[in-house]
Amino acid sequence: MASTKNYSPQPTVDADRALATTGLTYCWGPGQPTLSFPDLNLSTGEHLFLRGASGSGKSTLLSLLSGMLTPASGSVRMLGASLDQLSAGARDRFRADHIGVIFQQFNLVPYLTAEANVTLPCRLSNQRRDATDPEPAQEAHRLLTALDIPKDCWRRKVTQLSIGQQQRIAAARALIGGPNLILADEPTSALDSDNRDRFLDLLLTLAEARNTSVVFVSHDRALAQHFDHQVTLEGAAR
Amino acid sequence: MNTRLALSLAAASLWHRRRVLSLVCLTLTLSVTLLLGIQYLRTEVKQSFTSTISGTDVIIGARSGQLNLLLYTVFHLGDPTNNIRWSTFQQLKQDQRIDWLIPISLGDSYQGYRVIGTDDAFLEHFQFGRGQALQLAQGRWFEGVFDVVLGANVADEFNHRVDDRIVLSHGGGRTSFSNHDDTPFRVAGILGSTGTPVDQAVYISLAGMEAMHVGWQSGVAVPGRTLTPEQAEGREFTPTAITAAFAGLERQILTFQVQRALNQYTGEPLTAILPGVALSELWRLMSQFERALLGITGFVVIISLLGLAAVLLTLQAQRAHEIAVLRATGASPGLVALLYVIEAVFLAIVACGLALMLGAVAVSALTPWLQAAYGLQVQLRPLTTMEWGLLVSVPVAALLVALIPAFRTWWQSRSLGLGDTAES
Repeated sequence: MASTKNYSPQPTVDADRALATTGLTYCWGPGQPTLSFPDLNLSTGEHLFLRGASGSGKSTLLSLLSGMLTPASGSVRMLGASLDQLSAGARDRFRADHIGVIFQQFNLVPYLTAEANVTLPCRLSNQRRDATDPEPAQEAHRLLTALDIPKDCWRRKVTQLSIGQQQRIAAARALIGGPNLILADEPTSALDSDNRDRFLDLLLTLAEARNTSVVFVSHDRALAQHFDHQVTLEGAAR
Repeated sequence: MNTRLALSLAAASLWHRRRVLSLVCLTLTLSVTLLLGIQYLRTEVKQSFTSTISGTDVIIGARSGQLNLLLYTVFHLGDPTNNIRWSTFQQLKQDQRIDWLIPISLGDSYQGYRVIGTDDAFLEHFQFGRGQALQLAQGRWFEGVFDVVLGANVADEFNHRVDDRIVLSHGGGRTSFSNHDDTPFRVAGILGSTGTPVDQAVYISLAGMEAMHVGWQSGVAVPGRTLTPEQAEGREFTPTAITAAFAGLERQILTFQVQRALNQYTGEPLTAILPGVALSELWRLMSQFERALLGITGFVVIISLLGLAAVLLTLQAQRAHEIAVLRATGASPGLVALLYVIEAVFLAIVACGLALMLGAVAVSALTPWLQAAYGLQVQLRPLTTMEWGLLVSVPVAALLVALIPAFRTWWQSRSLGLGDTAES
C-alpha cells in the first residue's frame, strides 16, 4: 500500500541499497532558484513512486539520479558508488551498466528495428550483455513476447508501431540485461487507461523477476497504489 | 569508444535518411566531378597543347613577336606580318648547321581552313606529340601542281575522298567572294588524325600556290590571264616569297647560336623562335585563366560542403530525441559526435567514388567530340598525385565540416539532463 514518508540517510554499508541520496540540491544557472530534493532511500528490488506537479523538478531529480547532471550539493549513492564523485565518462558507463530509462515519449531510435532498440544497452555495456541468457537477441525476444509485442513487429521500423507498443519496447530496453535501477519519467502519460494499467503491471512484474528497482515519476495519483514507497516533490522552489 | 557500435548506428542512420542525404551526396558528387574534371582537363589540354609540334628546333619568320609567329605558323591563328624572300630561304638551305627546312606559305583558305603551301619536307620532317611523324590515311602526298592533301578534320567535315575536286578561296575567312574557280585542285591524299592543328588545314605545293595566283592582281582574277590546269602542267613555278619556315638542326646544342644568327641575319629582318619556349610562354598566359577556373571550382566544392553542414545541422534538430535516447542508454557525448563525423565522411567518400566513375564515363564519352571539335586529345589515364590529393581533400574537408554539428552535439549533451533535447 502507498505510504508517504521521507527516508533518512542510512550510514551503513549500502551495497544492497539500490539508491540512496542525501541533501541533493541543483541550480540550473546563476540567478535561477536552487532546487532542493528530499532524500531517497531504496533497497534493491523495491519500487518508488515519485509524485509531483509539473515544474516541481521531477526531471531534474531523474537527471541527477542517472548521472546526466551533477548536484550543486549532496550526493547520490548507488550500489555503493558515489555518482557525484565519478567523472563524466565513468557516469556514462555506470548508467549504461546499471540504469534503464523510459521517457514519456520518443523513446526509441527511429532508424533501428524494435529488436535492435531493445538490445541497444547490451551493445553499450558488456556487463548487461553478459547478463543476458544466452544472447541479447533471445532475451529481447522473451521480453518482447512478455510485453505482448507481436512477432511480426520485431523486425519492423519502430516509427510504424503504435505509441503503446513503442512504450512497451522502451520498457523491454530498460529491462534487458537486468539493470539495478529503472528510471521511468511519466512513461504512461501518453497512454489510455487500459494501456496504462497493463504497461505498469508488466513493467513491475518483469522488474521484480529481475530484482530491479523502479523509480516511477508521475503526476497521476491513481498509480501510486502499485508502489511500496511514495515521495511527493514540493516544487516550491520554482 | 565503441567504434563498431558507432559504425553500425551511422550506417542505419544514413539508410534511414537516404532521401535527403542522397541529394546532398549528389550535389557533392557533381561538384567533385567538376573539380576533378577541370584539373584533369587542365593537364590533358596542356599535354595536347605542348604536343602540337615536336622535332622542330627553330621557326623562322619575318620580324615580329615570338607569340605572333608561333600562333600563325603552328596554330593557324592571326595573320603573318610579312614574308621571307625565296632567296633567303635558299640561302638558309645552304647553311651547314641546318639539317632540314619546311617552307610554309600562307594566304589562301578552303571553307575557312588554312591552305598551306609547302613541299615534301613537311611530310618527311614535321612531327607532333612525342616525335610522331605524319601518316597518310588515304592516297598519297601531292605530286602535281594542282594536287591537294587534306587534314583529317577537313576531309571529315566535307566528306571528301581521294580524287575529289575542290576550289580554294583567295584570302582567309569562311566566306570568300573570290575563289580560284579556274584552278580546281584534286585531292591526292588525306592525312591521319593527329589531334593538332595539322588536322585543320589543307596542303598544296608551293608551285600550286604560285600557279593559282597567275593572272591575279590586287586580290582579283583578271579575266583571261589566269591559267588553266592544262597550261600549268609542265611549267616551272618559283615562288618569290614564303611566309615562314620550320627548321631542324644538325646539332641541337647549336640551337641558341643559330637563333641568334638568324635574328641578326643581314639579308632581311628575320625572327627565329624556339617552339618549346614560345609554347610555354603562351601556356603561361593561359594558365592565369585556368588557375582562376580551378579556383572557382574549389569554391563550388566548398559551397557544397557548407550545404552538407547545413543539412547536418538541420538534421540535428530532428535527431534531438534520438540523441537523448542514446545518451540516456549510456552513450558518451563522444560516441554521439562520432556519428556525425562518420556519416559526413562516408557521404564524402561515396561522392568521391561516384565522381571518379562519372568522370571516367564523361571523359570516355567526350573524347571523340573533343577531338573533333577542338582537336584536343584527351585520354583516360591514371590520376596524378595532385589529383589524388584533391580527391582525398574532400573527405578531409567533410570531416572538418562535420566537426561543427559534432562539437555542438558533444557540447550540448554534456549539459543536458535526462531526456532533455537541445531544442526544448
